[in-house]
Amino acid sequence: MPPRLQLGAHRGLSSTTYIIRLPVRRPQRRFASSSTDTPEIYDVVCVGGGPAGLSLLAGLKASAITSGLKVALIEGQDLQKSRLRKDASLDSFSNRCSSLTPASVKNLQEIGAWRHVHASRVQPYHEMQVWDGVSDARISFDWESARTPFTPRKPSQPTTIAYMIENLNTTTALLSRLEELGGVDIYSATKVESIELGTDTQQLDMTSWPVVSLSNGKSLAARLLVGADGANSPVRTFAGIPSRGFDYNRHGVVASLQLSGPGWGGLDHKIAYQRFLPTGPIAMLPLPGNMATLVWSTTPERAAILKSLSSDDFIAMVNAAFRLSPTDLEYLHTLSSGQKDEVAWRERHTPAQERAIPQRVSFVQPGTVASFPLRMRHADTYTGERVALVGDAAHTIHPLAGQGLNQGQGDAAALFRTISHAVSTGQDIGSTLALESYTADRYAENNAMLGVCDKLHRLYSVGSGPLVGLRSLGFRAVDAIGPLKGFFMGRAAGGS
Amino acid sequence: MPPTQLARALPRTSRTASSRGAEGFRQRCCYHSSQYSQPPPFAPAESAILSAAMSHVPNVGFTIDALKLGARDANYLDASTNLFPRGVFDLVNYHLVTQRLALKDTVQFPPEGENGKKLGIGSKIRTLALARLRANEPVIDKWQEALAIMAQPSFIPPSLAELARLADEIWYLAGDKSVDGSWYTKRASFSAIYSSTEVFMTQDKSKDFRETEQFLDARLADSMKLGSTFGALSAWTDYTAHSAVNVLRSKGVRI
Repeated sequence: MPPRLQLGAHRGLSSTTYIIRLPVRRPQRRFASSSTDTPEIYDVVCVGGGPAGLSLLAGLKASAITSGLKVALIEGQDLQKSRLRKDASLDSFSNRCSSLTPASVKNLQEIGAWRHVHASRVQPYHEMQVWDGVSDARISFDWESARTPFTPRKPSQPTTIAYMIENLNTTTALLSRLEELGGVDIYSATKVESIELGTDTQQLDMTSWPVVSLSNGKSLAARLLVGADGANSPVRTFAGIPSRGFDYNRHGVVASLQLSGPGWGGLDHKIAYQRFLPTGPIAMLPLPGNMATLVWSTTPERAAILKSLSSDDFIAMVNAAFRLSPTDLEYLHTLSSGQKDEVAWRERHTPAQERAIPQRVSFVQPGTVASFPLRMRHADTYTGERVALVGDAAHTIHPLAGQGLNQGQGDAAALFRTISHAVSTGQDIGSTLALESYTADRYAENNAMLGVCDKLHRLYSVGSGPLVGLRSLGFRAVDAIGPLKGFFMGRAAGGS
Repeated sequence: MPPTQLARALPRTSRTASSRGAEGFRQRCCYHSSQYSQPPPFAPAESAILSAAMSHVPNVGFTIDALKLGARDANYLDASTNLFPRGVFDLVNYHLVTQRLALKDTVQFPPEGENGKKLGIGSKIRTLALARLRANEPVIDKWQEALAIMAQPSFIPPSLAELARLADEIWYLAGDKSVDGSWYTKRASFSAIYSSTEVFMTQDKSKDFRETEQFLDARLADSMKLGSTFGALSAWTDYTAHSAVNVLRSKGVRI
């Protein structure tokens, strides 16, 4: 049938012409924008310079297909000031650390940012010990024990569970990569004053375009506005996308610690520890050398007590949290000081397998004990007309599985693929049709991860009763069945 | 002069009894306002006999004898107890209705914002419930008889209706103005708590009914816990339902 053939040929033709037309059309727009108060037109405007937003921009600029897009980044903080110094000492670490899964690291390698990372400040770990604070049922995650006896070890099989890295290190590497690539208009230390829809002028109808007004007086019109602006996202509010969820009434206490040694596995086999207490999980995650980072989810009242303790008492409490029973801990939280002696006395009467728990904390880096409220939020959708949300703007998760940053990286990679596909097929990158595949790609996966973490939190907040027996049984079963354990580890590592 | 008294009284009481049905009902239906005084719930003659009878309850209990003694005290014939076709239940009912209506006068909350601390609805409910329980104190030894009378099959519906009115009155006086679905659960849970505490109080031998107070506090705490669990559960269900719809939408299903 000739008509259909013609149609097909026409479509093919148009898609190729669009690619060529994109760069051609742009100088005209720039000309229009330079006149008095019409906003400057960008293809992608990203609000928020966190790991997710930077990763998206680096991805766009690193790819041959999308590198021609005109891109802007808006960040309220001064990005240069908050960079990791090149000569930073290995004895002090920021208290905001994350565990990057191999999938996220692979993504950072692909966009060329991983080689800018301060490698000496990254700590891969190979084993994870998780146990129930009430029943002591234990599960150990390492790729060796997750193997079935019948399948030989594949050489490509990773031995690393995840990489501990300071958030500062990640953002610094991404910024270095962006500077290397160039072509991004960075509005640093500039706040978003308002986001409104554009107006219909004689040259251009911008009524469906978001126009971002900045604190420096400039205004930018975005073909696609990306909200990477955190949990209280102004972009999400502008798009009118509701975000649902609940507050856990828990705070995460973080601190940078020094242990009495490099860990029971030595420097080459680092181990992460997590103990589920009824108030929330406490995790000790390894950093280079003898350093470690603490994430302790607990009630707001206890978090306030912990923050008010002297460093000796705080160290005693952290050691106790991995060793003593929940009842002992409850009592220790009622004291206003003197935990050090109390813990020392109680530890003599509590049997503990020292090699199964993290080494003792010997020093807490001053000024690193801080806390933040834990909540769970999920936006109803990630995309709207000329709007896309990534990272915390789209979802906030309980930190017990260390998945927040990785979800943001996954979002950035998926949005990059969507934009790249839209550009190569000649679509308008801001149209809901083009953005549809991004939500389809990420929503169910993020929702499942949020759900699992939420349920784990609820399951382990129970302090007594038959549920404790059941969950311990489940723990031991998963520990005993290698392939099942391998499945969970695979999911946690980023679905590889 | 008992005969004339009777002659004078009977037509009037019969008239008021019948008109109470028509006129009084109409008036109550037109509007209800806490700012205007409501017509008294009992006709003067009934009121006189029943209130006099109540003073005999501690001695003779909720019996027909109490009614007769009350009638005599109010200068009526023994036969005038025929005014009360439901017999002793009318006496119990009189106690329930008058004590319910007395609540708004006996319990006064300080105006809000005084000494910086606002009284919560929970503590207001507790105060009101205790005040109502204390009103049973003079007749507490005979209250089991009253409970037994209320439990008679033909008197169960009016007794439950009176309990519902009490629950409504107490939530109203506590200042709860919400009109959502919890309207029902609040009244139902209060009715359950109040009636069980009332039974407990008949057995309570402690000084100043301290144990009854503790019992009431424990039941109220239970219901608070249940309420917050219920609230958390419904928030979680709401989230889960929305996220299920959102996942389907993200996959292109048009819902």
